[in-house]
Amino acid sequence: MSLFERERQTIVSNEYVDNFDFAEVEEFVKGADKNLFISHHYATKTKMLVQPRGGFPTYQKMFKLYETFAGAGIDVLPITIDSHTRLNDYASAKKMLMLSEENETDMLNGFPLINHGYRTTRKMMTHFNLPVSLRHGTPDARLLVETAIASGIFEIEGGPITYMLPYSKNFPLDKAFLYWKYVEKVCAHYSTLNLPINRESFGPLTATLVPPAITIVIQLLEMLLSLEEGVRSFSVSFSQSGSLSQDIITAKVLKKLAPHYAALHGCAGAKTQLVYHQWMGAFPRNKEFSDALITTATLVATLVGADKIITKTRDEAFGIPTMECNAQAVANTQYILRIVQGLPQFEDGEEEEHLELAVHAIMEAVFNDPADSLWRKAFNAIKHGIIDVPFSPHIINHNAILTLRDPSGSIRIVEPGNVPIPARCLAYERAKAGSFENKTAMVEKIIHDIGVMQ
Amino acid sequence: MKLLIDVGSTYIKTASAHGLSQHFRDFSRPIHEDLRAKCGELLQGVPKEDIYICSSANGGLSTLIIGLTHSFSLKYAKNITYNAGINIIDTVLYKDIAHAPVPGDVLDVVILVGGIDGVNGVFDDALLTYLQNLNYTNLVYVGTAQDTPFISANLPHAILLPNIIDERLHIQEEPLKTTLTNLYQADIMGKEEIKELYAITANQIYPTPYIVNRALPRIGEQLEVVDPFIVLDIGGATTDIHYSKDLVSERLLTGNAYDRLVFKKLGVYKSKESLIHAAKQNEYVYELLSTLDVTEKIFEEHSEKALHVLMQLSIFLVLYKTSKFHQGYITLGLERLESIVLTGGITKVLSQEECESILHFFYKKILGLHHAPAVVLDTHYAIWTLGITGEHHVD
Repeated sequence: MSLFERERQTIVSNEYVDNFDFAEVEEFVKGADKNLFISHHYATKTKMLVQPRGGFPTYQKMFKLYETFAGAGIDVLPITIDSHTRLNDYASAKKMLMLSEENETDMLNGFPLINHGYRTTRKMMTHFNLPVSLRHGTPDARLLVETAIASGIFEIEGGPITYMLPYSKNFPLDKAFLYWKYVEKVCAHYSTLNLPINRESFGPLTATLVPPAITIVIQLLEMLLSLEEGVRSFSVSFSQSGSLSQDIITAKVLKKLAPHYAALHGCAGAKTQLVYHQWMGAFPRNKEFSDALITTATLVATLVGADKIITKTRDEAFGIPTMECNAQAVANTQYILRIVQGLPQFEDGEEEEHLELAVHAIMEAVFNDPADSLWRKAFNAIKHGIIDVPFSPHIINHNAILTLRDPSGSIRIVEPGNVPIPARCLAYERAKAGSFENKTAMVEKIIHDIGVMQ
Repeated sequence: MKLLIDVGSTYIKTASAHGLSQHFRDFSRPIHEDLRAKCGELLQGVPKEDIYICSSANGGLSTLIIGLTHSFSLKYAKNITYNAGINIIDTVLYKDIAHAPVPGDVLDVVILVGGIDGVNGVFDDALLTYLQNLNYTNLVYVGTAQDTPFISANLPHAILLPNIIDERLHIQEEPLKTTLTNLYQADIMGKEEIKELYAITANQIYPTPYIVNRALPRIGEQLEVVDPFIVLDIGGATTDIHYSKDLVSERLLTGNAYDRLVFKKLGVYKSKESLIHAAKQNEYVYELLSTLDVTEKIFEEHSEKALHVLMQLSIFLVLYKTSKFHQGYITLGLERLESIVLTGGITKVLSQEECESILHFFYKKILGLHHAPAVVLDTHYAIWTLGITGEHHVD
């Protein structure tokens, strides 16, 4: 037994895990229906895949949610994990699950996968026979991912950067990198048994004035960290920024640079896809406006040529949406995708050139770090502010970068902090952003820009 | 051939290509004499450059910290001090300084911390009054830059360093950490007992806990350890615990993913009495003793069995004191623990089964869990070897 196998044994030897049988899981993955693999759907799709978010605590309610989604013509099922499980607090999740079952009230904001266990969960996943995407926000997802794949969930979202900087205040980032290394290895291992397990990065980050260059760099790094462990199918992603033109350029550069950097690192054979998130910032409280925002996002997704779109609901400003509302959002998105045909191509050579230049410059700075491994280079880049995510709550993030919207709604970098933006790009960004009388005026503009859709 | 020497409060340990050895200290003579008497053959022919020494003898530096708040200044200073391998005697909250008890012993270091840069008037005459009554050797100031003139005017002997709290409330550990390890060196040079050791080594002598902490990021190269883990170094005078930072909720951003905490009264030799006292105060200990098939009479015995029980007790007490059932400096999420690594003299005494039985008792009885983390015994002092030389093997 290899060291990694022994480590896996330790991880699944857990109070809340009932006899994890690796041999049986391998047999299941080997024989799993191709429809469970999103990588199969990506390879054979004729349209953009549609996936919502959603998770309820009890098996019955989750099953009902999936039935509702299936009725709305869903392409990819979500499994959103509850907050206790995300923090590896399986004891609280267990207690809340019991209360949810006894009182028919949702005491959890997602599905406690560990407590349900893979044997039970697998019944549901194989029953619907659709690809399922794990949405979880967990820094230490080792046990969760083992359980997910054993359950028939063959797409794993997240990564050491994208699940840390937006979600966590002080979980040690270096630990997160190592825990995600384990996740990548597990995904890579199971990918050898059947079709590839797909990994998907979480591009929206804080969804608050994140400039495209930062989004793209983080997407590329997480992709490389995944591919270097043997993952063969990876989705890069980003969310609606509020500027149609900027989103199209972001997608172009991302689509171009993902295979470029993959090939540069000897992983040219890997498949990469693009995922687009409908608006991830603050939603309007007017539901009709929300509908309009979601519709616009679907239109942009078509323009950027996304392989998958992740939907929002008109209830976004009010909390967890009902099943019906969520299913309606899926149905509406599918409808818009059907009717939006023959959109024109959009070009902006200058914007594309500057964005590409900025991404290459940051990537070069990351690679130039003297550390002996890519994860450590990426870690150091974040630690030194070379990668800086606006409004990240994490203590390691510098938060020195300042961004705001230009008159056309595009996000511009006005103060780069330690991010090594080439002088030419910074001059371009600042020229687009315009000038301000003083810092106060700039801060007021930033506050306005954060709530731009409300 | 490299020769590694660890001077502990109870044992002197050596590691070389010839293997490991440990020798009970002879307290009637100085350390260097004792070392030469016991390891003379080993020392012969080994150049000074190839001899590496670390020491936890004499308890290292005794430190008192005066700070402004428990949430920032005291917390940050404690964290840096522990990770530098230094032991903290006491802490004083500045608002209580007028009524704070003054330790009677001579202190090696007093650390003064508080405020962010830009704030002034944090410290006043109350500090000077308190320090006048205090018997100490070194004073290190790491507080707000604006109070530096007040400190340097009234306490000219103070070592002035940059504030350990930056403007974003992040911890700045390097200047203080470096100063503390330098003071440790100076302390060694001043101690006749240990300074003679520089006659046999050309390398810097570090505190043992510092060496252990330094090795932890690479521990996986030597031992089958699954993160998150803790390392227990149960010694004669103190018990050190090094823990993965993801086991605590209130984390500080430092260069290391592992922090250290020391229990000064949980040693099995020099602190035996206080260990027994702590055990007797614990509500679960009698149940634990019956699980181990002994009675409390074992506390009065001086047998091999008694030593085993004491070591098992110290494992239990450290876990208890860091669990959510005990209000202490730190609370660890022990339910998330994957591995517990035991190093130091304990690995030469306790078997894997003896360690596991304690762990299962603790997890079942205290945490109500049926599953306990994996026990890893560092029987060949791999952590120490890695920490002191940066290499896996002594050759």
